[in-house]
Amino acid sequence: MMIVKSNQAQDKKTIADKMASEKLIGEMRKYNEELAKAGVLLDLSGLHGTAKGTRIKFSPGGKKRVVDGPFTESKELVAGFWIIDVKSREEAIEWAKRAPAPHGPDQESEIEVREFIELEDYLPAEAIEKYEEIARIRLEKLSQMKREARRSSQGKTEQAVSKTH
Amino acid sequence: MRVMVMIKMNKDREPGKLPPKEAFEEMGKFNEQIAKAGILLDMGGLKPTAQGARVKFLPGGKKTVIDGPFTETKELLVGYWVLQVKTMEEAIEWAKRAPLQHGPDDECEIEIRQFFEIEDLPETDRVVEAKNAGKKIGDVYKEMAKEAREGKN
Repeated sequence: MMIVKSNQAQDKKTIADKMASEKLIGEMRKYNEELAKAGVLLDLSGLHGTAKGTRIKFSPGGKKRVVDGPFTESKELVAGFWIIDVKSREEAIEWAKRAPAPHGPDQESEIEVREFIELEDYLPAEAIEKYEEIARIRLEKLSQMKREARRSSQGKTEQAVSKTH
Repeated sequence: MRVMVMIKMNKDREPGKLPPKEAFEEMGKFNEQIAKAGILLDMGGLKPTAQGARVKFLPGGKKTVIDGPFTETKELLVGYWVLQVKTMEEAIEWAKRAPLQHGPDDECEIEIRQFFEIEDLPETDRVVEAKNAGKKIGDVYKEMAKEAREGKN
């Protein structure tokens, strides 16, 4: 996971602010394409600023406290991420170095590279089975949701067609 | 809306070793609940920052690489869920139920953040075209990557 870190100034920016720098957007687009064409890209996303975020603090004694954003005191904010599938940590670092400076060339910024825990790394066989079962349930639910969405949009089209006739 | 529910811990609770068996099973049960509720889109756990690295981009184009572990911070990302929910409140309710505390003295934090969706983007031709095709942000690149991988095999 290549995590783009945010800072207080960046955290306040809206998507419209971010899209305003056409040069950076163009460079990001090019970089995303490079990752994609190399076949290493698995996922990528950007997150809204922490003004739309919430934290839940789990304190000793089992107390839970909800704190709404923005988180102005924080140094460790996430702005977005890429997930890439590479052979080594070094390869991941090379890719991270090739990214355009995430907040523009005149701003200090940071990408953190972190390795995923894979099932084989840590878990006993029974736990792997459990996780595979969860993955199956998740896929089933998702395809069910997709089928339902398709059916309801087909229904709408049919209604629209019957209205026009 | 899609949200990223991030688990943050301090350096005492960085992952790298398995949690106690009971805690592990509790987490398995929780994962099963969110899967069965049909809201789980993705999840992942990250290895300790000792296996991580940071690339710092400095003004003027200089880049420096710093190897982990990153011991100075209390807010290390150890894992996350991506959930499809209707409201932030729904996400908060689920997050509060996550069995994260392994003991009475345990302290940790969840941060919930909203994803940028294609609806949030300014309506350029490119965005309108992708939206009409039912695509999400990033789908174009993910499809391109999939093609590249299939081409290689």
